[in-house]
Amino acid sequence: MKILATYNIKGGVGKTASAVNLAHVAAGRGNRVLLWDLDPQGAATFYFRVKPKVKGGGEALLSGRRDLGDVIKGSDYDNLDIVPADFSYRHLDLMLDDAKKPLARLRKVLSSVADEYDYVFLDCAPSISLTSESVFRAADALLVPVIPTTLSIRTFDQLDRFVDENPDIVRKLKILGFFSMADTRKRLHRELAEELRQQRPELLPTQIPMDTDIERMGIHRQPVTAAYPRSRPSRAYQSLWDEILERL
Amino acid sequence: MSEFHRFVVDGSPDIELEELAAHLGLQETEAEELDRRFFDTADGRLHVMGATLELRSPVEYPMMRSLVWMRGGQVLASTRVDAGFEPSMADSLPVGPAFDRLRDVIEMRRLLPTTEVRSRLSVAAYLDSEEKTNARVRIDLPALTDGRRLPALLEVRAVRGYESETDRLLAHLDNRDGFDATDLSTADFARSMVGAAPFVPSKFSVRLDPDGSASDVWTAVLRELHDTMIANFAGTVDDVDSEFLHDFRVAVRRTRSVLQEGRGVLDPAARDHFRAGFKWLGDITTPTRDADVHLLDYPHMLATLSVEYAAALAPLGELLVARQHSSQLQLAADLRSSRRAQLGAEWDEFLAGDGPWTTRSGEAADADRRATDVVAVRIARAQSRLLRDGRAIDANSPPEALHDLRKDAKRLRYLLECFGSLFPAEELSVAVRPLKSLQDVLGEFQDTEVQAHALADLGRQLDNQGASTETILAMGGAIEQLSVRSARARREFAARFTAFDARAVQLAFDHLTMRSTVKQSKKRNTKRSKHGNTGRKSR
Repeated sequence: MKILATYNIKGGVGKTASAVNLAHVAAGRGNRVLLWDLDPQGAATFYFRVKPKVKGGGEALLSGRRDLGDVIKGSDYDNLDIVPADFSYRHLDLMLDDAKKPLARLRKVLSSVADEYDYVFLDCAPSISLTSESVFRAADALLVPVIPTTLSIRTFDQLDRFVDENPDIVRKLKILGFFSMADTRKRLHRELAEELRQQRPELLPTQIPMDTDIERMGIHRQPVTAAYPRSRPSRAYQSLWDEILERL
Repeated sequence: MSEFHRFVVDGSPDIELEELAAHLGLQETEAEELDRRFFDTADGRLHVMGATLELRSPVEYPMMRSLVWMRGGQVLASTRVDAGFEPSMADSLPVGPAFDRLRDVIEMRRLLPTTEVRSRLSVAAYLDSEEKTNARVRIDLPALTDGRRLPALLEVRAVRGYESETDRLLAHLDNRDGFDATDLSTADFARSMVGAAPFVPSKFSVRLDPDGSASDVWTAVLRELHDTMIANFAGTVDDVDSEFLHDFRVAVRRTRSVLQEGRGVLDPAARDHFRAGFKWLGDITTPTRDADVHLLDYPHMLATLSVEYAAALAPLGELLVARQHSSQLQLAADLRSSRRAQLGAEWDEFLAGDGPWTTRSGEAADADRRATDVVAVRIARAQSRLLRDGRAIDANSPPEALHDLRKDAKRLRYLLECFGSLFPAEELSVAVRPLKSLQDVLGEFQDTEVQAHALADLGRQLDNQGASTETILAMGGAIEQLSVRSARARREFAARFTAFDARAVQLAFDHLTMRSTVKQSKKRNTKRSKHGNTGRKSR
């Protein structure tokens, strides 16, 4: 089982859209996939029409009082299951702080379903906190969507610094960055994207375009890869998944 | 796995199902008329796990074929395939993680077509207020290709986490006339209607009467083994997959073992005659089985080598295929020979109690004794021998000592397997588990040694044929890997034997055999007191 976390310190960069669509793409290729919506706002949970409620809340899961398997909900798609968001996740930092070995906690919780899934996607809330550190320890790779804007690039630099300064936390974590919400009509996006690619050749080649089909996910409550499988963003998510597989 | 329920729909399924869909507010998501061809292995591995594999094509668009693997109403894998595609061995399956799991299920078995149907198949979603699917309802109206109708099926699969929400739907079906729960799939119904041959399970599973006579029980076991040989005969001759020969050969070896243990139970002349016959039958299968094992092990061998060495081993792969082919041709000829036919006919007669075998006067002293008692003594004897020989092995013992011990272990295992149903299952399982573990390590030790010798021979053959230096070096690498495995097995032997020799295991054996021992000693005591001779001095 590989654990992949969509993560960025900054919000509104396409983390949830990436988690939802990549999870759907991976499941469509025959992988058994679990998506855990760790963001208390519950956008990924909403897209899959699941109620954002976990019995006993995040504390019950982290303490082991409730098995992760008991709260998993099947999605409308074969091989794709969800751990819904819960409003209590806003206190995940405090819960982890109270737990023994907080950094290892998330991985331990996930280990109970290791035989059931090939890939787990963690859709993380934006921040650098104890929760994100626990995600870094649990995950095999961080999928980092970056909008080609100055602010978004700055947060990518912050993540880099954190990784460099905390080798004990990140260990063998792979950082897989890619451009998201890229608007090729905007000169600034094009220039910044080009500049950043020169600075960071390790960025994944595929960029996820800014597209109204992605915005419509909230209306259809479906991954764009399900609602519009032949659309430009769907094709981009398919290519992105191929590139991620190559790097894992 | 999510909850799954299947019902046969009686009456007029079309109308019933339409009404049902309207009543429950089911939302149809797919509806198609499909031609479906089902596949399974000869031992029904997919059937046993409640799964199906089918080639599907819409009646309207026959070129749009898909390979669909399903279990419990869930699609585990589905992919478009070319018009000429037909699943067979594991390597014929499409690439991808889902089909990798199917590969793990079928292993070395060939997927064979089992039956064909035309279905009107529709899928509907059972939705909640958020329009989230809580259950999937699959309605199948199938018919055989000759037009005969098969039972209409309705399947409900609760989506994980929505089991209680699906209860209302299930309660409705339970209370409705004409909906009867069933475990059988469309493929099962179709096989049954066309009178398809049953799947041939690899597992030996004859039910024996613990109070039956030894003669009856021995015959029942030999009949079952004969049935296994017959079931695997054609597949062995035609080389459908290597498991047919494997199962055929195991049945022959078990037959030989049961004959060997039949001293005092079976007519001595018949026993000698058939022991010789089945030894010959076993011997003629050995070269092909050896070749099969080499071929089955070949990919694993490549995986232990570097990419360069693995590429250089290609001539060995070709040689192994050629050897398997020639030995298979010889085996098929031997199995079709008059000698084999005569053995089969005589064996039929013997098992039926017909022909010359009935007139032979036997010296079968144990034939009328209670089978459980006779088998218990045989098990105790085989176990003692295994313990004695195993305890004598130390780090300096020659490899032959371990090879001989493997034979001891096999003898005991065959007794436990063939006559196992005479004994309580729990005690049997405590006894068999460590024995199997011991056999695994003894098997690995012998197989790797035999394979290393065989590879050395093949290397010389390839060298004579002018193989490249790289190929010969790669073979050296492969032999070295086998030596490493062999040494590991040798090191593991002591721990496995100690586990078998443990008090708890030996107690389980004692429990298995005690009943007989107690009864026998009681009998002896009764005899002695009757004759007024205890054979012991009183204190």
